[in-house]
Amino acid sequence: MQALATQSTDDTGLALRAVGVEKRYSGTYALKGVDVEAKTGTIHALVGENGAGKSTFLGIIAGRVVPTNGSVEIFGKPHVFGAPRQARRLGIATIYQELTIVPALSAQANVFLGQPLSQAGLLDERGMRRRFEELAAQMSVTIRPDAVAGRLSVADQQMLEIMRGVQSGARLILFDEPTTSLAPPEREALFRLMRKLRAEGATMMFVSHNLEEVLDISDVVTVFRDGQLSGSAPRADWTKPSLIRAMVGHDVVEYRRVERKAPARGAAPLLSAKAVSVPGAIEAVDLSVQPGEILGIGGLVGSGRTSLLRALAGLEPRSTGELAVNGEGVAWPLTPRAALRAGIVLVPEDRKAQGLVLGMSAMDNIAIARFSEVSRFGVISGRRVAESARRVAREFGFAENRIGATVRNLSGGNQQKVLLGKARFREPRILLVDEPTRGIDVGAKDEIMATLRRLADDGLGIIVVSSDLEEVVAASDRIIVMSEGRKVAEIDQSAAPAKVQDILNAAFKVMTHE
Amino acid sequence: MSKSQTVQPASVAGARKSFPARDAFLQFGVLWAFVIVLIGAAIVYPRVFEPTNLKNILSQAAPVGIVSVGMTFVMIGGGFDLSVGSIFALGAVVFAHLADPLGLWGAAGAVLIACVICGVINGLIVTKLHVNPFVATLGTGSVFGGYAFIYSHSAPQVPNDFNFQYIGTENWFGWPISIYLLIVIFLIGAFALARSVYGRSIYAIGGNTEAARLSGIPVDLLRGSTYVMTAICAGIGGIILSSRLGVGQADMGGTTSLDSIAIVVIGGTSLLGGEGAMWRTAVGLLIIGTLTNVFDALAVNNNYQLVAKGVIVIGAVALDIYARRMRT
Repeated sequence: MQALATQSTDDTGLALRAVGVEKRYSGTYALKGVDVEAKTGTIHALVGENGAGKSTFLGIIAGRVVPTNGSVEIFGKPHVFGAPRQARRLGIATIYQELTIVPALSAQANVFLGQPLSQAGLLDERGMRRRFEELAAQMSVTIRPDAVAGRLSVADQQMLEIMRGVQSGARLILFDEPTTSLAPPEREALFRLMRKLRAEGATMMFVSHNLEEVLDISDVVTVFRDGQLSGSAPRADWTKPSLIRAMVGHDVVEYRRVERKAPARGAAPLLSAKAVSVPGAIEAVDLSVQPGEILGIGGLVGSGRTSLLRALAGLEPRSTGELAVNGEGVAWPLTPRAALRAGIVLVPEDRKAQGLVLGMSAMDNIAIARFSEVSRFGVISGRRVAESARRVAREFGFAENRIGATVRNLSGGNQQKVLLGKARFREPRILLVDEPTRGIDVGAKDEIMATLRRLADDGLGIIVVSSDLEEVVAASDRIIVMSEGRKVAEIDQSAAPAKVQDILNAAFKVMTHE
Repeated sequence: MSKSQTVQPASVAGARKSFPARDAFLQFGVLWAFVIVLIGAAIVYPRVFEPTNLKNILSQAAPVGIVSVGMTFVMIGGGFDLSVGSIFALGAVVFAHLADPLGLWGAAGAVLIACVICGVINGLIVTKLHVNPFVATLGTGSVFGGYAFIYSHSAPQVPNDFNFQYIGTENWFGWPISIYLLIVIFLIGAFALARSVYGRSIYAIGGNTEAARLSGIPVDLLRGSTYVMTAICAGIGGIILSSRLGVGQADMGGTTSLDSIAIVVIGGTSLLGGEGAMWRTAVGLLIIGTLTNVFDALAVNNNYQLVAKGVIVIGAVALDIYARRMRT
């Protein structure tokens, strides 16, 4: 990888030097003047709460966001903003969370996207194939060059993007939350690759919410708070608590497990589902939830935990099973409306794509969950919408005077509160919560966990799915572990709290047997 | 509890505050455009605000205006309807053809039935066969338009009954009936869109279909219904125009589809769905109506009018996209 090793043209040894970088969005500062330096051949982590400015900063370095003030030098040369092509010329490649893979093209074509090898104006397919295989070998990636990119796993698509970056001679690679959609083994593979690239002289900068991985992989950690630098130091100087303190400005006990009184084991469970199957995803899973109980579903990506939740919410038209609510048999829900009629409400994982209407106000988003409550003869009462929304806002710790704000302009944590409030307004008996704290900061996480406990105390049955196993352990009274579409273990936490390792053991035991 | 208090400022700061003046300009830009059009019109054609001319503008605009009420619902619901012109023409020929045998009310009822059938077909193709609305209504537009020619044997339908021209030409209290129809349909549309559960559901569907579905809104049914409504509006438009001209012809739809879409878009309702309002469509209609009127009064060649309208539509959409980018 000579492209990486030989090109340290400047004397300072700095891959990146940002001075006084400032960004204003219609009157509000996203960044209030930050100085950041990154040495060539290091991995640099950017952390901070939602809205702290880390993603804006990454966008500026990527050349996508034009700063209001300040200067940035890349390998000693001034950065050109707002022109991705220029950024590429300076040796910058950016791997976004929303990958920029062209699904219909082959893996190889994606790696050479926009910069194909050619000879005399014709595509040099053989040359590209050779280069692809070289890169793959170098990076220990096993992807067939002619595989259709859209059918590859997210992890493999991400690998293709990294290969594209390296192929284009990138020496500074930026990652925007690279691990959120990766399973633990894939995450490990990515980290191995990052270390390898570092050994070859590449500089990397990444944004992450996962503090463990930040402490695991990075050389330098820079913390943003409120648009400013809250601290920047070598990894060895940080601990998890000190990182959190720098992020939020005070101590937060992460994932504190709160003892709850065990829910009453009544004769009939609030919800009981038997032999739940989704062709190709899950097979004959039984589960039940008591009133006031929080049931966690643990498992790895692809274990079927999300399919199980979707089936219960009526989102899997091919699913089968038997359902009883409050001891009474109910037809198996095949549409969301049927599930809602049975009192089952899903709080979806992707609040922007599935949960909220971003262009609507917070109060309208809450109102659409139950129009019957705010209307008469099909006519909506603005007063009742506002009253209901205010009531929900009070309950969920969301500023009452912001119920009229467009949801798009709210922070991630507040959006999540609106989403939970909306589900609550529907007055469900069973609440299904998919990834309740994805992409939100530590402080808001804690509040949302407390909210779930409070709803359970009110007698709701709650089922929580999360890829963060610590969160599953912290939130739930009982855990079922899924693996390869089957339920492989059930862990009751009322006697003794479980450990993440217990879930992993249960999940992997099956996998290693087969 | 100090936790939530210290976290709060960060998230408040993270949410962007707005620049009131510029946002207002972008949001209500169409009103400024309208004011400019009015001033310009008054300068080049001083008689534009005389009552006779106002009646003229409004009654000319009535048929396509009524169609654009329905189109507003379709487009806020994230859809598109290119077949309204054909349904409009079908309504005109059916109304003219059946006015003699069935009487005015009978003929209007027949038009209603025909339009509901057309609308249901559009709705089913879009929601159940998942065909892109653009393609679906391009296809059905060809089918309905072709059928209008077949039905009328490509001949103008001229009823003998003199009453046929009542709706299109008579006045109530000195104003043409078509203006009353236009205003009533706009008011009903505006109320339904802004204040009813139905309207709010259409916004939700257009804004985020998946979220609407998960909230228990019957997405397919409501989205399909917007096509039925638009078809009915198109039928009413066809009735008015054929009644005014005293003849129903299969080529009457002409540019109705594109005109009604242009009116909705000029008003500032988004092509992407989820955002918009009925007052916007009303302003869009008045802008186009006034311009057409002034151009006609100044005897501007129709071809130049087409060029001018095209420029205005593109300007409106570009402004909409610019405003959207500023907000995100």
